[in-house]
Amino acid sequence: MASFSSSSGQEDEVLVEEKSFVRTLILNRPKQLNALSYQMISRLLELFLVYEKDSNVKLVILKGKGRAFCAGGDVAAVVHDINNGNWKSCEIYSRKEYTLNYLMATYSKPQVSILNGIVMGGGAGCSVHGSFRVATENSVFSMPETALGLFPDIGASYFLSRLPGHFGEYIGLTGARLNGAEMLACGLATHFVPSAKLLLLEAALHGVDSSDQAIIAAIIGEYSELPMLKEQSANHRLDVINRCFSRRTVENILGALEREATNKADDWILASIQSLKKASPTSLKISLISIREGRLQGVGQCLVQEYRMACHVMRGEISKDFVEGCRAILLDKDKNPKWDPPRLELVSDKMVDKYFSKVDDEHWEDLKLPPRSNLPASAIAKL
Amino acid sequence: MDRVSWRTQVLKNHLTQAPSPETPSLSPTPCLNYSPPELAESTHFDTSEMRKLLDGHNLQERDWLYGLMIQSKLFNPRRLGGRVFVSPDYNQSMEQQREMTMKRIDYLLETGVFEGWLTGKTVEEELRKFALLEVAGMFDHSLAIKLGVQFFLWGGAIQFFGTERHHVKWLRDTENYVVKGCFAMTELGHGSNVRGIETVTTYDQRAREFIINTPWESAQKYWIGGAANHATHTVAFSQLNINGINQGVHAFIVQIRDADGNICPNIRIADCGHKIGLNGIDNGRIWFDNVRIPRENLLNSVADVSPDGEYLSAIKDRDQRFAAFLAPLTAGRVNIAVSAIYSAKIGLAIAIRYALSRRAFSIAPNQPEVLLLDYPSHQRRLLPLLAKTYAMSFSANHLKMIYMKRTPELNKTIHILSSAFKASFTWHNMRTLQECREACGGQGLKTENRVGHLKSEKDVQSTFEGDNNVLMQQISKTLFAEYLAAQKRKKPFNGLGLEHMNGPCSVIPQQLPSTVLRSGHFQVDAFHVRERDLLNCFAEEILQRQARGEMKEHALLSSYQLAEDLGQAFSERCVLENFLEVEENSPAGSLKDMLALLRSMYALTCMEEDASFLRYGYLSTENAAAVRKEVAILCSELRPHALALVSSFGIPDAFLSPIAFNWVDANSWSSVQH
Repeated sequence: MASFSSSSGQEDEVLVEEKSFVRTLILNRPKQLNALSYQMISRLLELFLVYEKDSNVKLVILKGKGRAFCAGGDVAAVVHDINNGNWKSCEIYSRKEYTLNYLMATYSKPQVSILNGIVMGGGAGCSVHGSFRVATENSVFSMPETALGLFPDIGASYFLSRLPGHFGEYIGLTGARLNGAEMLACGLATHFVPSAKLLLLEAALHGVDSSDQAIIAAIIGEYSELPMLKEQSANHRLDVINRCFSRRTVENILGALEREATNKADDWILASIQSLKKASPTSLKISLISIREGRLQGVGQCLVQEYRMACHVMRGEISKDFVEGCRAILLDKDKNPKWDPPRLELVSDKMVDKYFSKVDDEHWEDLKLPPRSNLPASAIAKL
Repeated sequence: MDRVSWRTQVLKNHLTQAPSPETPSLSPTPCLNYSPPELAESTHFDTSEMRKLLDGHNLQERDWLYGLMIQSKLFNPRRLGGRVFVSPDYNQSMEQQREMTMKRIDYLLETGVFEGWLTGKTVEEELRKFALLEVAGMFDHSLAIKLGVQFFLWGGAIQFFGTERHHVKWLRDTENYVVKGCFAMTELGHGSNVRGIETVTTYDQRAREFIINTPWESAQKYWIGGAANHATHTVAFSQLNINGINQGVHAFIVQIRDADGNICPNIRIADCGHKIGLNGIDNGRIWFDNVRIPRENLLNSVADVSPDGEYLSAIKDRDQRFAAFLAPLTAGRVNIAVSAIYSAKIGLAIAIRYALSRRAFSIAPNQPEVLLLDYPSHQRRLLPLLAKTYAMSFSANHLKMIYMKRTPELNKTIHILSSAFKASFTWHNMRTLQECREACGGQGLKTENRVGHLKSEKDVQSTFEGDNNVLMQQISKTLFAEYLAAQKRKKPFNGLGLEHMNGPCSVIPQQLPSTVLRSGHFQVDAFHVRERDLLNCFAEEILQRQARGEMKEHALLSSYQLAEDLGQAFSERCVLENFLEVEENSPAGSLKDMLALLRSMYALTCMEEDASFLRYGYLSTENAAAVRKEVAILCSELRPHALALVSSFGIPDAFLSPIAFNWVDANSWSSVQH
């Protein structure tokens, strides 16, 4: 697993601060915008497991160093592995990451994530599943996967599908960015605290000696504000979003957006159309189904399904869009990916269905999530 | 209140009301804590593969529509015990419920759910239509019926009875709800006997118009879904009288309201009023007072009237003409059979999930109370119904697929199978819902828990689109006709699965050990023996009566006891054979083993319950005892799979009810709206 050594061995990529009953974990890879290395994920998983059993820990705070909370998974390392034919290590990475997501979603103690900066992809995965998400005026949220030839994973099919109406399809397919106020309005954040007050908030949280959610909520509430939504905000357009993003297929969604655009020329609609046209057609199709299926499933099943999809994406047997997307956006930065298949109508239902099936490899296994004694309503597996 | 502050509120309430930690608390016993059945129950087969077998087709589209309903405020989402449930507010007035049904349809229309429902030409599109209609029905029967009226009855009448000019003029507008249609067949005086309807239509040659009239009160159109509030048009069924000759029942398009909803001249409409269920449907009554309609409004695929008033029909035989008219009702019966099974699935999923989390009575002092489903008697109440629901679900799919492949040669099979399945599946559903409602105890009475209320919503299925008893009689009558045809022409039986009548009669072994009882071969043999003997007896009895000088029709009616037994035997045999086919097509493995277990439970339960096996001596009393014993063993073998079997139904949590999940939380003080 050569790629994982790309994480610097000297400095801890996850810093730990202990204050009486509170543990603060700081993602410490600021140059990479705290993108989650394998080491970071392993460390987080280990710490969360220990803290759950430790009766001296009542609250876990998670934040990032620098201007990002967390910009996502370590895509560069993953692509490096894929290019070396080493998707086994990618699978190990995903397994760990999804297990961490599941642990957070079913965690018996409160987790407060302070989202004072960029929250993308994997960054959402290690915060949104937790009980409290504090946004600030510096928060920038996005699920940019479809532009990379990937799909919103890390349990996004669970939480995106539960946003109001069809906002989740909108966020997941277009990769649209949200600010802190918008995150709060749609429910991705539970609180909005101006960054100037964060130190005070943390100090107050350090005094917590109980895992009672109501107490924590009350403390954060004292520093919270109700921010104004921008006039241009997508949250004001839930009607249009519902009208368009509720459609059965990606083609129908695009068609509906284009009809809206002819009725009323509008930068926001044009931008949404543009995002969809730029994204990988395969990614769009599998992402839509993933969110739709996720809406009817528990978070555990969502992760199991996403793991199947991720393995197919990384193996590149159906489409190599992920490698191509990373090349165009992250490596060569020509921002001109050559998707294959290049158009929506060329992505057949049969291809799409394959992403949801088991990987045809005798050494491959479905994601096995650890048994949890405390299953919240959201986690109960059905179907 | 948004979700976060709501949740905070709930938690605060907990805090302020909870006793302080110093107060000694009662140590909770297992019955006071809700424990999700998922923690205790394991799964031994792939439930998503099982769901594929059960739903059969268009799973993604089904899930899409489920999701649409969950995400829209129009579908009355309510949060209880940390979950969202969607179900209509049945506490609304009849008028409000009707308006909500229409609003939901407007929403689904806008979202593109009905695209291709009438303008689609392919089998794929037709299958999608069926799948989406089934899912709509999982939310609310009124919603499904309102759609059924628009697309299958009104739309179907135009498709099947109409010709090109009608298709062009009406189908797209119907699909887009520019036109709201209804289907005026039933009258106060005539329901299942459509041929007896009394509405009369004559032709005015000079004006080139038909004149439709309701001659007296028993001829008023009755139960017409959509007529009371919303429909703009109806297809009116009427006797056609040309130059004093009655040509039998024909169908005409009549506008009954203008675009603003005002009732048209010479039309009178009254409401059917509040009903025991389906109050989201505006059933109405219509009187036609010599209403004039253009000649082109006769749906003329079977017969036409020329401008100068000459009656023209390709089908000379009045009976055959009539049969052609009834063809669209077949789609309705297919829908009803399928929908009844989906409703039984809802009932069973709720009752079984509840039985896996609710405890009652300890067996010994200081022992935890026992889970309901661990009582053998509770297993016997629910698990055979579960197996039957599986069996019928496969048969419902089978019927749907034959219907998709329909050809004139298949018409008889489709007619007989749809009649048999419509009757037996809707009866099964009502029985299942009643058992499930009782199995949930008092909780079954709460409308929010669905099972009890579903009974009144679904009750109508036993009589509409053909009274179940009448349909079952038709089956025996058809089987008798097959018998006569085979005898007279000295030809073997061919079709309807009656080929087993040609071979030697199977013999039921004297000893029935478990291995024999569970073999598909034995089960089919037993069902064949019963059907064969009942058909022979039925035919003999009728022929004897006829020999004594009774009219054939009279003889058929007098032999109703055998006719009922035979109808049931036919239906159950078809279901068993369809089940075996599904089983045989499954690859070896845990899923196939599960199917075998369910199939045996189905077959043996039928044998245990149908008195015919003992009445006519197909089983000895020892045999019957062995069957009964095996059913009890099968119950205990199915018990560990109960949760996985209802999860395989693929019904999203939101479409079940609070008692299917954390019913303690759902009923806690903090969840009360203060």
